[in-house]
Amino acid sequence: MKSLCFTALILSLITPAWTTTPTEQFYEELSFRNLKDGRVATRFSFKTVLNGSVPRDPSTLGQEDQSQHYRLFPLAMGQILREYALTELHLTLNAGNWDYDRWGYLDEPSVGTGAELWTWMADGAPSSIDERWEGTRNALGGLFCSSLGGLNDKRTTSPESVFRPEGDLPDWGKPHRLRHASLASENVCTENLTPFIKLLPCKALSGIATLLNPHRLFDADWHGLGVHVVWNEHTGVEISLVIQAVLNPFRFSQEKTIEWSFNSLFKKQVERQCPIASASTLSVSFPAGESWSLEPQGSKSEGGVSLYDLAQAQYPFDLQAKASTDLSTSVHEDFKPPLRVQRALNGPSQAYGRLSVSFSNTGAAPVQALYLETMPWLVQFYLHTLTASANGTENGELLSHIQYTPAVPHGKPATVQLEVHVPAYTEVLLTMEVAKSFLRYTDHPPDAQRGWDLPPAVVIPFLVEQNSSSNAISLRKLPRMYTNSLLVDLATPDFSMPYNVIIFTCSLIAFLFGSVFNMLTRNFVVVSLKDDSETEKP
Amino acid sequence: MSATTRTTTTTKGLGVSLGATLSTITALRICLAFTKDVSTYLQYEQLLSSPLTSYTRLQEGLFLFNHDVDPYSGGLFYHSPLYLSIFSTIIPNSRFIASLLWTFADALGAWALVQIWRARQGVSSPTSRDSLVAVSYLLNPYTLLPSLALSTSSLENTLTLLAIMLASQRLHSPSLLALALLITLNPSSILLLAPVLLLLAHPTGPKSNLASPSTGSVLTTPLLKKTVLPLFAEFFAYIAVLVGASALTSGGWSWVGQNVFAGVLLPDLTPNTGLWWYFFTEMFDHFRPFFLMVFTMHLLIYIAPICVKFQHDPLFATLLLQGILGTFKAYPTLADPGLFIAMVSVFPEIYSHLRHPIVTTLLHIHAALLLPLFNHLWLAHGAGNANFFYASTLVFACANGAGVLDCLWAGLRVGIEKLSTGEKASEDVEEEWTVVQE
Repeated sequence: MKSLCFTALILSLITPAWTTTPTEQFYEELSFRNLKDGRVATRFSFKTVLNGSVPRDPSTLGQEDQSQHYRLFPLAMGQILREYALTELHLTLNAGNWDYDRWGYLDEPSVGTGAELWTWMADGAPSSIDERWEGTRNALGGLFCSSLGGLNDKRTTSPESVFRPEGDLPDWGKPHRLRHASLASENVCTENLTPFIKLLPCKALSGIATLLNPHRLFDADWHGLGVHVVWNEHTGVEISLVIQAVLNPFRFSQEKTIEWSFNSLFKKQVERQCPIASASTLSVSFPAGESWSLEPQGSKSEGGVSLYDLAQAQYPFDLQAKASTDLSTSVHEDFKPPLRVQRALNGPSQAYGRLSVSFSNTGAAPVQALYLETMPWLVQFYLHTLTASANGTENGELLSHIQYTPAVPHGKPATVQLEVHVPAYTEVLLTMEVAKSFLRYTDHPPDAQRGWDLPPAVVIPFLVEQNSSSNAISLRKLPRMYTNSLLVDLATPDFSMPYNVIIFTCSLIAFLFGSVFNMLTRNFVVVSLKDDSETEKP
Repeated sequence: MSATTRTTTTTKGLGVSLGATLSTITALRICLAFTKDVSTYLQYEQLLSSPLTSYTRLQEGLFLFNHDVDPYSGGLFYHSPLYLSIFSTIIPNSRFIASLLWTFADALGAWALVQIWRARQGVSSPTSRDSLVAVSYLLNPYTLLPSLALSTSSLENTLTLLAIMLASQRLHSPSLLALALLITLNPSSILLLAPVLLLLAHPTGPKSNLASPSTGSVLTTPLLKKTVLPLFAEFFAYIAVLVGASALTSGGWSWVGQNVFAGVLLPDLTPNTGLWWYFFTEMFDHFRPFFLMVFTMHLLIYIAPICVKFQHDPLFATLLLQGILGTFKAYPTLADPGLFIAMVSVFPEIYSHLRHPIVTTLLHIHAALLLPLFNHLWLAHGAGNANFFYASTLVFACANGAGVLDCLWAGLRVGIEKLSTGEKASEDVEEEWTVVQE
């Protein structure tokens, strides 16, 4: 009886805490997409929803924040989000170039090489947006053990029309602002994965996260981590932790058949279910026209996609997939991007060069593309040399809505934002002369001769669709694409020379200065060469 | 000293009229300017255009200016707002017009140089040396190539020559206006202010007084207060007007940091023929402000002594300070030492006393061959590194410095010519007597 009373007392103490804490749900989802070149695109998605919660109002930043009690939501992320009053946050760390031609679009569009971070936050805080942005990237850099501090003012821009918020923005009466930065030279590795896994409620002990084997993940042809925080008016703050990889089953298979399993791809299988996941799903999709046999069979299969509910599965769970026909050679039409964008920096000189971007439209419909180039000060644009040509003939009318912010030396990067009209079956080539900067010797990284990685450009294609009945033209926005990153070779001084240069130049100046003043201050006299003794006299 | 004797007689036979020379060379220049893409090949050459004078950057600035982007908000455009206003209103901005304009500016500069020569000789009629003086400017590779590359330093050279010419002709206000315009376009030309003011105030003007150093010392007379101060006031008024016009054109003061202080703060480390760029590329960050101050002060420190020493011949002081500018300024191009070399042709009286003319000539040939070679090897070919080009700029600075020293020595040495040779005409006397500095 006593113990019952005690339990009731404890319960009555706990209950209020239960009711004030918003309910939380955790969803995990694993998807495989068989690609036309035999590779497998994998996506792990871990989503936690904090029901009924709202982001912190920046005007309360000076005051004490409400206490943070989470059961599933990662506390480390919650603290960062509330400390800097972030409404929306997207961080991706990718390695490798995403091959749109062969791999198509992925569900997750942030595939740019290197680190990319962008946040939406409202104004109205006691500290400025840039201070909060700096704090955010430092905190995230510390959390994920990556050099996000390098996403400094030299890399930060605010291209609000390209990176639109993916959730809702609360109306606090103050405008929301975007900060975006990318760092192409940032690599992703095990040290980033370990803190990432720590944010998951089941860690890597159960559920699909068991498969996150760093040896296989970071061995993939392309791999990346992503953290996405959005706010939905109806649900609340949602955090999605995403890991994507393009794995090559051929490399691990002993036989010449096209087949893979969890065990062959990850050297792991799902040992047990994550008990706190509200939903735990697996989906496997195939290119159209291909026939695959799966073991075990999915609970549902429609349109080339097999779905599994891992809550009902038999554990340990392993999936065997085997192609029973030859591989087809077409990308799944749903995933095929309408444009092919290639970017290059040409020219042999370390003083100037030419940036060329080619947009190829192989489809029958014209495409309107929004192109965003963010360029650190290392490469400066001669915007007056920007030309556009369609299939080799120059046509300035292809470009419209050009917005340009010049780069500031040792400061903020340049941004060029423009719209390109790419007619059907046409290749549009943009070219622009660029000046390469000459840096102080202290500005160069330790491996200066390697060159500098320039961030990928972003393209948002819009399909131009003509409504047959009303003849009205409508634009359908497609997910954004990233171009390849570039490597620019900047002229380097001799790093062993500072003292020598100071000594040489100063000696020369002193010599000339001394000679000039020597001549200016001394008088000319006529002396006899005949008698030396006479000339000695004044 | 027999080593100082030098043949100056090559000029004697040239009796071609100035008009014919100018028009022939200008016609050739126009042909050259329109041969296939000469300026396109040369426009990125770092020896011919510095960041402050590059035609490409001027085009970029004009493009941004015409599209309502502040050209001074970026790091590419350092030209004066006056260029923006001129090229966006009066002169149509096209490559064709530009080629004509630069050719015309060169011809005008050569004409001005001939006028300076005539004013120095005190004649208004053509002389036999006119054509040679014009050719020394028009066909001087150091001035010709920057002009073909459409570097605005050619326009600034023309303005310099016009200002000196007008000062030589005693046209006070036009001269001061040209000088004010020059200094607004290229602030480091402030070095030429003092000698040009002295030239205007001097009783004998541009006439050669090198041989008689004691005559007409402006600085010791009350003339200084009476004439130089009002001249300075007038100059200052012109500067104020031009600065106001610049501010109106660019709609703000952002150009001050980009244009006026570019030559002091060295924001762009693009290689050029000068001494600053590699020094400040390799400079330790905490010493940078100190050495920027030292280099700026060093440039200014020559004004007073040269003007005091050559107060009897301010035109010669102008020559020397132009030589100093070509050697030591922050963003020189070949056109700056080129102007100095062209101006030497106006002072034939010093030729026989140049100290080491052969060494200087050889240094110039050496540097002129090495500079483009090493620049190309480093930046385009990838075979050499920055030190090679830096070494050739050192040689070039030696050549320019030696040129200044030669002229300085000769200008002082002429002053006692009468003592050494004039009174003793016979040949053998020269072997018995020599002139040294005590």
